[in-house]
Amino acid sequence: MMSERRNLWLGIAVVVAGQIGVLGWMVWDRVHLLSSGREIVLEVVPVDPRSLFRGDYVILNYDISRVETPRGKKRLHRGSLIFSTLQKTKDGKWKLTAAGPERPESVGPDQVVLKGRVRFASRVARRGSNVATVNYGIESFFIPEGTGRELEKLVGQKKLAALIAVDESGNAALKGLIVDGERVYEEPLF
Amino acid sequence: MRSYRSRLDNDLPRWREAGWLTAEGEASIRKDVASHSRSLELAPALAIIGAVLIGFAAMSFIAANWDEMSRLARLALIFASLGTAYGIAGILFERGYPAFAHAAILAGVALFGAGIMLIAQMFHMDGHPPDAVLTWALGALGAGVVLGSNPALALAMLLMGLWSGWEMVESGVVHWPFLLGWGAVTAAFLWRWWVPGLQFAAVVLSIWIICLGYLLFDGHGHGVVVGVGLLVGAAGLALPSLSERWSAFSTPAVAYGMTIAFAGLFALQFVEENVPLFGLILLAIATLTLVLAGIGFGLRTSSSAALWLGYGGFSLEVLALYFKTVGTLLGSSLFFFAAGFIVIALAAVAYRLHARMEAQS
Repeated sequence: MMSERRNLWLGIAVVVAGQIGVLGWMVWDRVHLLSSGREIVLEVVPVDPRSLFRGDYVILNYDISRVETPRGKKRLHRGSLIFSTLQKTKDGKWKLTAAGPERPESVGPDQVVLKGRVRFASRVARRGSNVATVNYGIESFFIPEGTGRELEKLVGQKKLAALIAVDESGNAALKGLIVDGERVYEEPLF
Repeated sequence: MRSYRSRLDNDLPRWREAGWLTAEGEASIRKDVASHSRSLELAPALAIIGAVLIGFAAMSFIAANWDEMSRLARLALIFASLGTAYGIAGILFERGYPAFAHAAILAGVALFGAGIMLIAQMFHMDGHPPDAVLTWALGALGAGVVLGSNPALALAMLLMGLWSGWEMVESGVVHWPFLLGWGAVTAAFLWRWWVPGLQFAAVVLSIWIICLGYLLFDGHGHGVVVGVGLLVGAAGLALPSLSERWSAFSTPAVAYGMTIAFAGLFALQFVEENVPLFGLILLAIATLTLVLAGIGFGLRTSSSAALWLGYGGFSLEVLALYFKTVGTLLGSSLFFFAAGFIVIALAAVAYRLHARMEAQS
């Protein structure tokens, strides 16, 4: 009876520790990426500002969400990984320079590689290239319940950009939003 | 279970009046049935529903107080509620309320899943949602195995199905890793020898196999589904002669196999486009034969599930054929004439076979 009781509580301890461990690892992984990843700023493609913050989260679209891989490259499929190389331009903006199913072997100091997943892919027969819509995991920004209108007013007709942290292997995380060059909604790590 | 009891209520007085049973005998049978019945009881069912509601309450509390709390406080609250749920389960086990303890475990697993979603939301994670579902499923499987909880294992199976379904919808190709996840949860069901869980595993696997038809060969894999279904059915028929222990699974295996084969045949006739008329007629004959064999099997083994699946399949097939043939070369009336003729011919064959078997015995 005693040992049965001990087994029960041992089992419960194992399950609780295991599940909290998994959740904790998720948090640690993210915090590590946000704090040590390289910061880049991406302009958000404007959508109808009235519908932008209607829900409790925002869907963010970027120029780099649509990529074209050159002729002869491996065909892209839905769900497959894709690596996009971004280059920092003279005015401080990040522009897409290359994309493909393989990770580039070397990147310059003014370049970062983002890892994404293909959402839709199609082939442009005329040019023999692939066109894909890519998800980098930085497309949803959750905002506190009921603050959508406020943020909507703040953004208005101004330019919206996203602050992104990128790690060595190309994982990206949203750090905050930038309105007209000013950081808003930059959340603390904890 | 209730139907068994109500049948006994009908039969016992009759048997007693016929003199086959004494009054004491009847009382003992009733007592035995009452003590061995494992009917679904209301209290544990309510406890499980209550546990799920409490899980939702905790989540909406955290979500509603998003602004006031720091991230650290939110995380602490998630972790604390998770620990509390399992702690309550332990106390309930000790006090001898296992049904309520399992409800608390289920609440713990639900909180684990909600924790994954809340953390994803907290850090604006928008990666690959099926991965989150898989993590949740593995958490449910772990809790089910370590704590010996059937409801947690059932949730793990449901989540494995959701994971695979989501992957297949996203990618449009067959998701083979499902078989690993399914196998792991099914192994846990077998280890605990939980028959309702095994039935659930069979349902989930059957749905997955039927989905193969829509994914293999650019969506033209229904023939494979028919083949797999027939194989499963044949294996079910062969089971009793192979192993004593597994013979109880014979009838369900035949029923699942026939259902899978029916789904494949149905898709070949009505989902595939440009089916030639001759091919359609052959497929319809094959389907009706399968369905009637299913009804015959149900009658012979007195399996009401097989019987109703057979009737259901027959109605579906005839209805779909009707809609398909309305206004085509093959007039509906001609079709029904042919179908009726085939069914009567099959009935005649069945009658002959039955009569011959009677004569032999």
